Amino acid sequence: MMIRAYEKDVSWQAAVWALAVHLLLLAALLLSFNWKATPPLLNVAEVELWDVLPQSEPPVPAPLAEEPPPPAVKEATPLPPEKVEAEPVKTPEVDIALEKKRQALEQKKVAEQIKKDLALAQKKQLAALQAEARKEEMQNSDKLLKQSKANETLKKLQQEALTEEKAMADQSAASAKSAASAGVLDEYRARIQAKIRGNVNKTLCATANPELKFDIALLPTGEMAGLPRLLKSSGNKACDEAVERAIMASQPLPVPMDGLAFAQFRNLKLTFRPND
Amino acid sequence: MTASVANDMSIFSLVAGASLPVQLVLLVLILTSLFSWWYIFIKLATIKRAETSAEEFENAFWAGGDLNKLFDSLSAGRRKTQGMASIFEAGFKEYVRHKQQSRMEVSDVMEGARRAMRAAYNRELDNLDAHLPFLASVGSVSPYIGLFGTVWGIMNAFRGLSNVAQATLSQVAPGIAEALVATAIGLFAAIPAVIAYNRFASSVDRLSVRYESFMEEFTNILQRKS
Repeated sequence: MMIRAYEKDVSWQAAVWALAVHLLLLAALLLSFNWKATPPLLNVAEVELWDVLPQSEPPVPAPLAEEPPPPAVKEATPLPPEKVEAEPVKTPEVDIALEKKRQALEQKKVAEQIKKDLALAQKKQLAALQAEARKEEMQNSDKLLKQSKANETLKKLQQEALTEEKAMADQSAASAKSAASAGVLDEYRARIQAKIRGNVNKTLCATANPELKFDIALLPTGEMAGLPRLLKSSGNKACDEAVERAIMASQPLPVPMDGLAFAQFRNLKLTFRPND
Repeated sequence: MTASVANDMSIFSLVAGASLPVQLVLLVLILTSLFSWWYIFIKLATIKRAETSAEEFENAFWAGGDLNKLFDSLSAGRRKTQGMASIFEAGFKEYVRHKQQSRMEVSDVMEGARRAMRAAYNRELDNLDAHLPFLASVGSVSPYIGLFGTVWGIMNAFRGLSNVAQATLSQVAPGIAEALVATAIGLFAAIPAVIAYNRFASSVDRLSVRYESFMEEFTNILQRKS
């Protein structure tokens, strides 16, 4: 057994003491050490130095300049008819009213002339009537003015619609840009390949320049999510492994900062020729 | 994960975050430490008791009373006699037994009493030496067990570094800290065990010398009597 017979009477006491010693140690560990580590505040700025910027800007304006006009023309053509339609609809009414009034005036005039003939004394009234007629004519011209104002607001609305259309066109152009700017993607792809190429031990690959294909899952930081997957082997295991090591060593890979453009790199299928 | 561990390190999270071999090492070391402290306290009590009883017995023996009375008072006690008293009891019992068979030579009677005392002495020494080998083993081995846990933990901590592009100290620091806990507990178990072993070994040596000298002196007294 663990203890002798003659030790039994002290064993319980000893066990209590032993436990007390260990609790003391635990308390000392907890109290005397400040286990909370405060991380130092670091202001680290990461800088990447590139000697050539990827040519992302120049190709962008071209599609932008070309694309917006078509929607503008498209939208402009259907809209003017509205304008044209709007005017004829309203003007006839006005004309009719005017003519009605004119007719009424003329009738009045005729009647007045009859009245003149009949009673010259009523000249004053006639003058007053004429003034009225003038006033009415003035009012009519006011109406015309209002109508032109209405036309203007219509035009404004149309213009707003146009600008909206333009903005939409811009957006579609931006999305088209990422797709269209295959040049940028190629640029980055070349940059990635160049970086990997610098890390490949070419002596492991044969001189025949084999082609390898890797499937790489990338994070926006340029680091890899997981290991690169070999899609197409060069036929030489040492070469495959050399390229894989090179890809691992090349982290972080240069990827576009732009989220839209990066989407193309999330699952990058990289074709690689070590001896190019 | 590493960052959160680095920010919130307590002894519990360190142990919980350690790998399985390190945790096993810690468990073994804590059990070892508990047992060694238990034995330390047992031995402290029993050796002290042996020393005081030897003191008391020597006082009673050299007080010059009747040996038969002393023997009777010892064997009348309910408890089994220990230490010097048991040696005396064994020797005197044997001597009296041989004396009753009167046809024996004096030298044979003395030899018999000596052998009986030697046997009782060996039993006593065996009791005194109990658990000392365990303490010696703990003292010499538990630092190595702790070191094993530490090395294992540091190996794991550095293996974790191979998967990151930029190696920083904060990525290995928690692993090393939790690994070093193993060494700390190993040392905590070893240091008291070594100190206790040395102290108890010397105490047992002194007691055994005392027992032996008592045996010699008692043999002389018996020879004078016969």
